[in-house]
Amino acid sequence: MDALEAAAAVVWPARFAAAVPYLMLAPAVLLVGLLVIGLAYIGDTSLRTLDTSTFLLSDDYTLANYRRALSESLFRTVAARSLQASLIVTAVTLLLAFPYAYLMVRTPSAALRKLLLIALFLPFFIGQVVRAYGWLIILGNQGMVNDALSLVGVAPLRLLYNYPSVLFGLIQYMLPFAVLMLAPALTAIPEELEAAAHSLGANWLRAFWHVVLPLARPGLVGAGLVVLTLTLTDFAMPAILGGGSQDFIANAIYDQFFRTSDQGLGATLALLLVAAGSLLVGLVLYLFGAGTLAMGRRR
Amino acid sequence: MTGSLGKSVVLWSVVACGLVILSAPTLVVLGASFTAGNIIAFPPEGLSLKWYSRIAGAGDLWNAFQRSLYVAFVCTLAAIPVGTLAGIALAKYAVRPERTIQVYLLLPFTIPLIGSGIGLMLLFGDLRLLGQLWPVGIACCVINLPFMIWAVMASASALDPELELAAASCGAPPLSTFLHVTLPAVVPGVISGSLLMFILALNEFLVSLLLVDARIVTLPVHIYNSIRSIITPDLAAISVVFIACAAAAVLLLDRLVGLEIFLKSK
Repeated sequence: MDALEAAAAVVWPARFAAAVPYLMLAPAVLLVGLLVIGLAYIGDTSLRTLDTSTFLLSDDYTLANYRRALSESLFRTVAARSLQASLIVTAVTLLLAFPYAYLMVRTPSAALRKLLLIALFLPFFIGQVVRAYGWLIILGNQGMVNDALSLVGVAPLRLLYNYPSVLFGLIQYMLPFAVLMLAPALTAIPEELEAAAHSLGANWLRAFWHVVLPLARPGLVGAGLVVLTLTLTDFAMPAILGGGSQDFIANAIYDQFFRTSDQGLGATLALLLVAAGSLLVGLVLYLFGAGTLAMGRRR
Repeated sequence: MTGSLGKSVVLWSVVACGLVILSAPTLVVLGASFTAGNIIAFPPEGLSLKWYSRIAGAGDLWNAFQRSLYVAFVCTLAAIPVGTLAGIALAKYAVRPERTIQVYLLLPFTIPLIGSGIGLMLLFGDLRLLGQLWPVGIACCVINLPFMIWAVMASASALDPELELAAASCGAPPLSTFLHVTLPAVVPGVISGSLLMFILALNEFLVSLLLVDARIVTLPVHIYNSIRSIITPDLAAISVVFIACAAAAVLLLDRLVGLEIFLKSK
C-alpha cells in the first residue's frame, strides 16, 4: 500500500489535485464522444446523394437530400403521424401514471407499495420486443380477444396493425418511465399541505388541482419530456404492432438504410430527427427547468 | 391517506387500469408458453411443457441468448469503471463548466436511439468493427451510461464529506482515503447501476438490430425476426427466459438496495 501511495504521489503530485475530477470524468467523456463522432458521420453522409447506377454515395457535398426530406409528402405524413402519436401517448400516459405514482407514494401499506413497484419494474426490465409479442397474442386475428369474441358469436375484429394498437403498445411501454420520473417529485410534496387544504375547506379535487399538481410540476415536466421524445423516436412498437402500415420516423430511417439503401437520405432524416428532438428537449428545459432530470450536485 | 370515497374510487380505478395494462403482456406470454396446442389459442388446448423441451433443443435460440448475455457482460464491465469514476467526480467536485458537462453526459438520453444507433453503425463500419459482438456491448454501454452515473451519484452524495476529511486528518494518504472510504461508500450505487446496465443491455433491441448481421443476432433481434413471419408458442417459451431474467433482476434489486429507493426525492 505504501509503495502504491508513493507511486501515486510520483505520478500524480498533490499540486495536480485540481485535475483529479477531470481525469475521473475523462473515460465517460470519451465514451459519449463515440456518439458525437457518430453524429459527425451522419452529418457527412447526409450531404452525399446516392448514385442509382453504381449504388455508391457521391464524393461531393450537396443539400439535395435535405430538399427531398423536406418536400416529399411521404416523410411529412410519417413525421406528422409520429408527432401526433407522441402528443396523444404523452397525455394518456401522464393521466395513467399520475394516480399510480400518487397511490404508490402515499399508501400507508408497505405491501401495496411493493406490489405496485414490482408491477412497474417487471415490464421495464422485460424489453419492448417481448412486450409487443404479448400484445400480438392478445390482439391478433386469431388472438385471445378475437377467440373470446367468437365464443359469443361475434365476428373477428381487426385489432392489430392499426394506429390505435401502436398507441396502446407505446402507452404500456412508457408507463414505467413516467411513474418512475413522477414518484420522487410526489414524495417531495408534504402530505400536511393537502391536509391543510382540506381543513381550510377544499375538497379533494380542489386540493389536488391547487396544491398537488402545481408542486408536482418538475416531475410532470421530466416525465412528459421523456415520454414525448421516446415516443417520437420509437421504432419497435410501430414496426411490430403497426405491421409496416404505421411507420414512425425511426422506421422510415431504417428503411432508407436497409431497404432502399439510400444512406444519404436516411442520414438526413436521422439528423433532422436528432435536431428536432434536441430542440424539443432544449425548449422544455428552458421553459420549465431540468425537473427531475438534473445531474448536478445537491444544492 | 386523507380523502373522500370519491377520491379513492377514482384513484383505484385508474391504478387498476394501469396494473392490467402493465401486466397483461407478461401474463399472456407466460400462459401461452404452457399451451399444448400448435398455435396459441384461447381457451388454451390444455397444458404442457412441450414448447420448453422444443426450445431446449433449438440451437439457434440458445446461441442468440448466449450472444445477448455476452453483450450484457461487455456492457456492464465497461460501465462499472467509467460510470463509477464519473459519478463520484460529479457528486463530489465542482467541475467546470458544470452545466456543459452535465448536458454532454446526458447526450445518450437526448440523442434518439435511432440516431445513436445509425451513428455508431457508420463509425464502427468505418473502423471495420461490424460483425463482431463486443462493439454491440460498448454501444449498449454508451446509450445507457447516464443510468450508471445517476446510480453512483446517488450513493456518492449520500457520503458525508467529513468522513473523507477525517480519514485524511488521521494521516491516510489520498489513495488510501479513496480506496477505504470513498469507494466502499458508493458500492450500493455501483451494484444497482450495474444490474440496471446488465438487464437493459440484455434486452436492447434497436441498437442491436442496427449493429448485428444475420450470423450474430442477439435474442431480442431473433424474436423480432421470427414474429414477423409466424407466431408460434416456442417464441413464448423463449420469451419466458427474458421474463425470468427480469424477475430475478427485480428481486435482486429489491434485496440489495430496496425498490423504494426510486421513490426518494433528491
